[in-house]
Amino acid sequence: MDFTPIKLALTALRAQKTRSVLTILGMSIGIAVVITIMAAGKGLDHMVMGQLDAFSPNTVTVEVKIPSTKKTSSDNAMGMATGITITTLKEKDLDTLRKHPNIAAAYGFVTGQAIVKYQNEAKTSLLFGEGYNLQEVEKFEIASGRMFTKDEEESLAQVAVLGSKMYELLFGEENAVGKTVYIKGKPFRVIGVAKSRGAMMGMDMDKMVLLPAKTMQKRVLGIDYYQELIAKVKDRTIIKQTVADLETAVRENHDITDPNKDDFAVNTMEEAATMLSSIINGLTLLLVALVCVSLLVGGVGIMNIMYVSVTERTFEIGLRKALGAKSRDILKQFLAEAIIITVAGGIFGIISGAAFALAIYFIAVSYGYDWAYAVPISSIILAISFSAAVGLIFGLYPAKKAAAFDPMVALRKE
Amino acid sequence: MALIEVKNLEKEYVNEAIVTHVLYNLNFKIDKGEFVAIMGPSGSGKSTLMHILGFLDKASGGQFIFNGRDVSTLHDDELAEMRSSQVGFVFQSFNLLPRTTVLENVILPLVYTSTPARKREELATTALNSVGLSHRLNFLPNQLSGGEKQRVAIARALVNDPAVIFADEPTGNLDSKSGLQVMQILQELNADGHTIILVTHEKYTAEHAKRILRIKDGEIISDELVANRQFATGAKELIK
Repeated sequence: MDFTPIKLALTALRAQKTRSVLTILGMSIGIAVVITIMAAGKGLDHMVMGQLDAFSPNTVTVEVKIPSTKKTSSDNAMGMATGITITTLKEKDLDTLRKHPNIAAAYGFVTGQAIVKYQNEAKTSLLFGEGYNLQEVEKFEIASGRMFTKDEEESLAQVAVLGSKMYELLFGEENAVGKTVYIKGKPFRVIGVAKSRGAMMGMDMDKMVLLPAKTMQKRVLGIDYYQELIAKVKDRTIIKQTVADLETAVRENHDITDPNKDDFAVNTMEEAATMLSSIINGLTLLLVALVCVSLLVGGVGIMNIMYVSVTERTFEIGLRKALGAKSRDILKQFLAEAIIITVAGGIFGIISGAAFALAIYFIAVSYGYDWAYAVPISSIILAISFSAAVGLIFGLYPAKKAAAFDPMVALRKE
Repeated sequence: MALIEVKNLEKEYVNEAIVTHVLYNLNFKIDKGEFVAIMGPSGSGKSTLMHILGFLDKASGGQFIFNGRDVSTLHDDELAEMRSSQVGFVFQSFNLLPRTTVLENVILPLVYTSTPARKREELATTALNSVGLSHRLNFLPNQLSGGEKQRVAIARALVNDPAVIFADEPTGNLDSKSGLQVMQILQELNADGHTIILVTHEKYTAEHAKRILRIKDGEIISDELVANRQFATGAKELIK
């Protein structure tokens, strides 16, 4: 293979160091962004899917919603955010769930926020009112102590399980089990400390305090309804039928005849996973498309620089031709320059993109997210092929222009 | 057989339907080993003639036969090959690549030949040695004097061992001492057997050649041997 065009191109690029470096930089930024975005998309996907994994794919939830709105609609979200409270999801509904032949276990859930005190330490904490059988439905592990029992929930016992960070914040290294904390001025005996769960849906699950759902309803919030019911099905293959059964049964409980007026929604985790995954993929695709446009603009920049370079180096081209260079030698040299710039930009872009993705990974992990560091091969292929195409396409026109110079005319430019 | 044979050579330029005749019905021969000066005032067509003889331009009519080969029929790539193998150029304004070392400048014509990379450097060093610049290999053109630049250009013209060296006003941008030195090198090269074609408007410079082709308004007005030839002997010592 004849490496002469490459050597000549390298010499020419060295002679114009600043311009070459700036062009390579422009190209590599574009490529780095493609890789970073695609890697971040993967990381986000892993995090969200990992969080959904906490609920098994066999999980079914019944959530409240504003009637005549869709669960995922902005009307519902706005209504909830502005203080509309749906109070119809009650113990009867939980019983309905538990009685369904395909439901293995179910519990009710309520949440709130309160200051939790231990001696001189006081921390604002998320309170989760959960069922005694939480562990039958979700992945939830106890690091020390134990989970509350059915009797404790039924008797509205004032017991609490602390998230791992909340335990550290309140107790430091001291043993918490058996100690008393105060929530809204009421004493709660700490019976267990949970294992770290990381972040879920943007919330740090390790900073929460777990109370029996009924204790939370009656003794902390003073309410008799749930915000959500969470259940696990026995047979996943008939999950759709189960959802339909539950919808009919809860509708009956709520005296609703028109399904459009439902004040609840029955969802499966599988649906949520598919939806979230497609949203993330869509977002990643959109961002990549945007970045491709910026790469294209970078390509036009390369063409511009190559074009200026050809014009500036008219004399050099003329001289080379006068000394024996054929048109195709000049074409090869200028094309090699464009390709070297894009390949160098590609390599730096991939390295820096991978580095940015790693930085995002460390930041996400430091915030407690279950992020994954993965630079998808597809992003590298996309970046390399795109940059090579840009180099070839946008380098070709100036190179052809250079090759077509008449040596005599070009030499007169001196 | 003559190295160069020109028969009824014509050159005209057409620019937006305006035809400008530059060379008319030229006929002459140049043998191997000659030192010919093409002399004429500015606009006489001498540079155009040199460009045609140097395969940089094509004649509009007539024949140009080089070493028995009719050049008129050659296409661009073949002309480029002739330039890289048969001729060397020395230009008035040196035409060295800036930001490129002396050695790399001299290697340039070899880049477009099949000469192996290692051999290229060796040949370029020898050529630079022959013009007394072996100590300037890694200098850049802007670090050299005018005379040195022209000597680099001569080394570059020599490096591919061409059949003819064309020198277009090679002393035009030089002081008299450097000019003399360049002429001495050209005379020495001719004495070594190289064919030299010198283009100049100066009678004194032309008289360093053995034969002068006078050209005026695109026509040859005389073709004669130099009676009182100038010799630039000792110029190298003078410059030292």
